[in-house]
Amino acid sequence: MASTMHEAVRPLPRSDAVVQAVVGRPYLNPYLAGIGLGLILLAAFVVMGRGLGASGAFSATVAWAVDAASPERAAGNEFLAPYIGDGSTHPLKAWLVFEVIGVFAGALLSGLLAGRVRWTVEKGPRVSVAGRLGAAFAGGMLMGFGAHLARGCTSGQALTGGALLNAGAWAFMLSVFAGAYAVAHWMRWQWR
Amino acid sequence: MEMTAPFYKYGLFGDEASLLVAFLIGIGFGFFLERAGFGSARKLVAQFYLTDLAVFKVMFTAIVTAMLGVTYLAWMGLLDLSLVYLVPTHWAPQILGGLVLGVGFVVGGYCPGTSVASLATGRLDGLVYALGIGAGTVGFAFLFPLLRGLYYATPAGPLTLPQLLHLPYGVVVFAVVLMALAGFYGASLIEARASRKEG
Amino acid sequence: MSRAWFSKLSLEQRLALAALMLGGLALFARTDGGNVVRLDVKELAGIVEREEDHVTPLELADWILARRADYRLIDVRSDTEYAEYHIPTAENVPVGSLPDAALLRNETIVLYSDGGIHAYQAWLLLRAKGYRSVYTLRGGLEQWKEDVLFPVFAENASPDEQARIAKLREVSRFFGGKPRSGDEAPAAAIALELPRVDLGAAVGVVPRQGKKKKEGC
Repeated sequence: MASTMHEAVRPLPRSDAVVQAVVGRPYLNPYLAGIGLGLILLAAFVVMGRGLGASGAFSATVAWAVDAASPERAAGNEFLAPYIGDGSTHPLKAWLVFEVIGVFAGALLSGLLAGRVRWTVEKGPRVSVAGRLGAAFAGGMLMGFGAHLARGCTSGQALTGGALLNAGAWAFMLSVFAGAYAVAHWMRWQWR
Repeated sequence: MEMTAPFYKYGLFGDEASLLVAFLIGIGFGFFLERAGFGSARKLVAQFYLTDLAVFKVMFTAIVTAMLGVTYLAWMGLLDLSLVYLVPTHWAPQILGGLVLGVGFVVGGYCPGTSVASLATGRLDGLVYALGIGAGTVGFAFLFPLLRGLYYATPAGPLTLPQLLHLPYGVVVFAVVLMALAGFYGASLIEARASRKEG
Repeated sequence: MSRAWFSKLSLEQRLALAALMLGGLALFARTDGGNVVRLDVKELAGIVEREEDHVTPLELADWILARRADYRLIDVRSDTEYAEYHIPTAENVPVGSLPDAALLRNETIVLYSDGGIHAYQAWLLLRAKGYRSVYTLRGGLEQWKEDVLFPVFAENASPDEQARIAKLREVSRFFGGKPRSGDEAPAAAIALELPRVDLGAAVGVVPRQGKKKKEGC
């Protein structure tokens, strides 16, 4: 088909028409999506006095798992211990954990409404599944590492800190873009 | 005028209810992430190949929207900005962590939030990415004794750009709006160039 | 005619225009509440009349002894006066620095001064800035000396009274004072020494150890 030929010629099909041909309805205008996201973030500020986040849910989950396997290890680990606290509340009863569960539900809802839910692996047509998944795992590891070192990820720091004019968050944002652009060239193979 | 927001900080509801709030806010968050197409690694990394700058557009529109909202609500005395949590600045780990995070973003194609949106819509690479984050978290936790020096280095406390630059809050807000609008215009030029190259 | 140009703009251009206008207006924004505030005098008058804004010295002594960590005790006198003597667990914020102090609006704050006047005035300042949980120590340090540090006890007390008196003696000793008999000098004249008081871990601050990490990403 024309769309497949196009993908062989150019590594990154860009137009929404291709997306539509492949699966579901076109994505929402990015500016409108941004306004929607911004209002959700504002709601978090007004209702909770905090912003969004995601990496904290991963640390809480890991802390819970480590605590379940070996409480002494968890309590002794300076990074994980605060997620356990004094044990009076379950580590998974954390704001970010519930928020991330909501992210799952909200994304699923949006996907279902737009017919964009399907079991697939996002990759270029000439890349193996194993190769893509290997890169995904490696990228995730780097992301996990970087996010905890930086005390946040794009949702927690870039969006939240950005909106609150947090100086460190803005420096963080610049670094994220710098790091990504620097390495992008060597990752093109995933999308060929 | 009685300031009562942030509601939670003024005790209008308790911890249990806040978890429900978290879930609802998360739904909104995930909904708009997927709406924007950020459940797709392809769409996300297109930003870094300069073919589709939706990441920049969505992120900065969200930032500007929330920033203006906060500014006006605080100005009207409806929101106590001093009670909104600000992650304390630590220059070195935030910059270094940001670089690593940026690399992880473009290697794997997601970030923590978008990986959840991705796996929710059936993408195996999103799921694997999320598992990778878990592994990275475990690694970080157990390497923490070596990293703690860096983790706590160069603290500056909760610091805003207006404080750092010694400018009034509103001036920085206006500057951010201008920068974002200039960026959006630039993005449209870059995308136009990219589509001309394809055509 | 003026609406024609607006309808020719694309969605994105309209959004950009709106952002530009909102951003421009925000140039004048103040996010810290400012120094010029508005007061609801009727509400304040009611509070004053119902005396809902006071804490008595003995109540405060109880709070301190119970190691309560859910409030902040603020001494609004100068730093030299604070150094000479202050109620244990008190922080020093001279009344002139109150508007700029790092006091969060959702905290409970108890103010005191020597006779109480500055504390009462500080109470009004904080309430005006939107603080809702502000109290003053009734009678100030003078009353603290009278009631807590140097109390006078009746000679012939009933057995129930004896128990209460014994407790008050303990309290007095704890804070560095001692009970006096009726014909000694008035409490106000007694020189004060800052007691060495051991209040254990929670000295006016919520213990962080063992508390679960709540904020941040």
